[in-house]
Amino acid sequence: MALKIIDTCVNCYACEPLCPSKAIYKAEAYFLINPKKCTECVGDYDVPQCASICPIEGAILDAEGIAINPPGSLTGIPPERMAEAMAELQAH
Amino acid sequence: MELPVLNEKPAASSGGCSSHSCGTTDDQLGHLSDEIRAKVENHPCYSEDAHHYFARMHVAVAPACNIQCHYCNRKYDCANESRPGVVSELLTPDQAVKKTMAVAATIPQMTVLGIAGPGDPLANPERTFETFRRLSDEAPDIKLCVSTNGLALPDSVEELSKHNIDHVTITINTVDPEIGAQIYPWIFWENKRIHGVEGARILIEQQQKGLEMLVAKGILVKVNSVMIPGVNDKHLAEVSKIVKAKGAFLHNVMPLIAEAEHGTFYGVMGQRSPTQDELMDLQDACSGDMNMMRHCRQCRADAVGLLGEDRGDEFTLDKIEDMEIDYQAAMEKRKVIHEAIAEEMHSKRTAKVEAAAKHADAKKLNTRPVLMAVATSGQGVINQHFGHAKEFLIYEASPDGVRFMSHRKTDLYCSGDDTCGDGESVLQRTIRALEGCEAVLCSKIGYEPWDMLEQAGIQPNGEHAMEPIEDAVMAVYKEMAEAGKLDEAKPEQRATA
Repeated sequence: MALKIIDTCVNCYACEPLCPSKAIYKAEAYFLINPKKCTECVGDYDVPQCASICPIEGAILDAEGIAINPPGSLTGIPPERMAEAMAELQAH
Repeated sequence: MELPVLNEKPAASSGGCSSHSCGTTDDQLGHLSDEIRAKVENHPCYSEDAHHYFARMHVAVAPACNIQCHYCNRKYDCANESRPGVVSELLTPDQAVKKTMAVAATIPQMTVLGIAGPGDPLANPERTFETFRRLSDEAPDIKLCVSTNGLALPDSVEELSKHNIDHVTITINTVDPEIGAQIYPWIFWENKRIHGVEGARILIEQQQKGLEMLVAKGILVKVNSVMIPGVNDKHLAEVSKIVKAKGAFLHNVMPLIAEAEHGTFYGVMGQRSPTQDELMDLQDACSGDMNMMRHCRQCRADAVGLLGEDRGDEFTLDKIEDMEIDYQAAMEKRKVIHEAIAEEMHSKRTAKVEAAAKHADAKKLNTRPVLMAVATSGQGVINQHFGHAKEFLIYEASPDGVRFMSHRKTDLYCSGDDTCGDGESVLQRTIRALEGCEAVLCSKIGYEPWDMLEQAGIQPNGEHAMEPIEDAVMAVYKEMAEAGKLDEAKPEQRATA
C-alpha cells in the first residue's frame, strides 16, 4: 500500500512537509515516495495529504497505478478543450 | 469602452481626476501621513515617485502553494516570460541571502527584497522566514516585503511582525464567494482540498481577517487585484472601498494575463484580458475611494532591478557563487547613494510644487485631455531612445496638470524573438501598444519609426531629452493647445498593421 509520484512532478515542495510518515523525499530529478514508509495517510488523515495539495494532475498515482487527480480535476480545463488548444498552438 | 460601475459613480468618472491623485502638485502619496510616507518613499512598488530611482528584487524561495488560481499554471517556466509566478531557478534560503547581498552590493539603488513565490510565501513558512530572519540580521539596510494570497496570513502575522517586515501585499480578487469560485477552483485547507464556493469563502475570510490583523499591527498593506472581464471587473470598485475602509493604503488593479500557450485555465478557455482603456477606467473608478497604484509591472517571482527591467541574468547561482561581497563596505556605499537620491527626489518635488503654483496662476486652458507616451530609463526624465524602450510610461495631460496613468510594454511581457510571435514586426507591435496616445516623447528616434508613428496619428517628439517628464509633457500639451490641435475632437487613429 503506497502512493507514487511520477516524472510530471514540478518540484514545488508542497507535499513533502505534509506527509505524516516522512515518506516523501527530494530525489535527483523530482520528489519520490518511499513505498516502505507510505501509509496513504491511513490512521492520520481521511485523505492522502500529498495528493490533496499536489497542483499537477496525474502526478500522484494510487497503489493500482491510477492517477488520484485525473486530467481536468484540478484546473477545471476539460481534457478535450486542452487537447484542442494544444493542437491549435502546434498548428501555428 | 464603458464599465457600468462608472455610471453609478459620476464623481469618479469623466475626467477621472480625483482630488488626491491628480495635478502636478500632489504626487501619488500626497495625502499620506509623514510616517507612512517615510516608510514608502524609497519603495519602488509602493511609491510611483520612487520607482523611477529605486530598484527591487524578488528571491524565489517559496515554490509551494496552498490554492489554485485560474490565471496560474504551476508547470510554467520560460526564460523569456516576465510575469508573476514564473522563475528560472528555485533558491534555498542560504542561496537567497547570498544573491540578495550580491545584488545589493552591485546595484546600490536596490532597496527592497520581496518574496513573492513562485508559489505562496506563507505556504512555505520555513523557507520564507529563514530568509527574512537572516537578511534582517545580515543586511539590515534592506526593506523586506512579502506578497501572499492570504490563506495562511492570519497564522503568519505574528511572525511577520517579528522580522521587521513592514510591507505586505495581499492579492484580493473578490469579496464574494460566488465570484471567488470562478477564480479559485480549489484551496488546501485543514488537510483537505476544498473546491468551489466553499473554498473561496474560506479564502476570502482569511484574506479579510489577515488584512485587519496586519493593519492592527501597523504593517502597511497593499492590495493587488487581477481584473478579469466578465468575472470580477464590475465588482472591484466595491473591493477597493472595502479594503480601504479596513486600512489598506494602496490598491493595485492589474490586468489579467491569459494566453493559451501559458496553459492556464483562463488562457486555454479563451477568457480575454481587459483592454488598456477598460483597465484605466476601472482604476479611475476606484481612485475616488482609494489610493491607486498604476505603475505595477507584474514582474516575475525572481525579478531584479528597476521596475520594468530585469537584471536577473547577472545574478544566476553560478555567477553569485564567485562573488566576494564585503557587505559592511557595500552598506556604506549604499547609504551615500540613497542619500543622494533622496536629495534629488526632494529637489524635484520642490520644483514640481513651484511649477504647479505657477501653472495654477496661468490662464486656465479649456482643452481636452491628451495621453502621451514617454520613453525613460529612470530618474524621472526623458532619457531613452525610442527604439531601446522596452516599455513606455503613459501620462495624461489636461488643463488640471499631468498625471501618471500606466505603463505599456512594447513586447507584451515576452521578449522572445520575432519567430515566437505572430509575424508582426516589433515596430508594429510597439505602435499598437501606444494606441490612444497622441504623442510620444523620447530622447531620440529613427526615421523609419518617426514616419510610421506619424502615419498612425502619434506625434513623435525628441525635443525634450533629459527634461523632467511632467514638465516636458506639459510643454508639449501647451504646444498642441497653441497649435489648435486640442480644439477639435481627438482624431481617429489609423490602423498600422
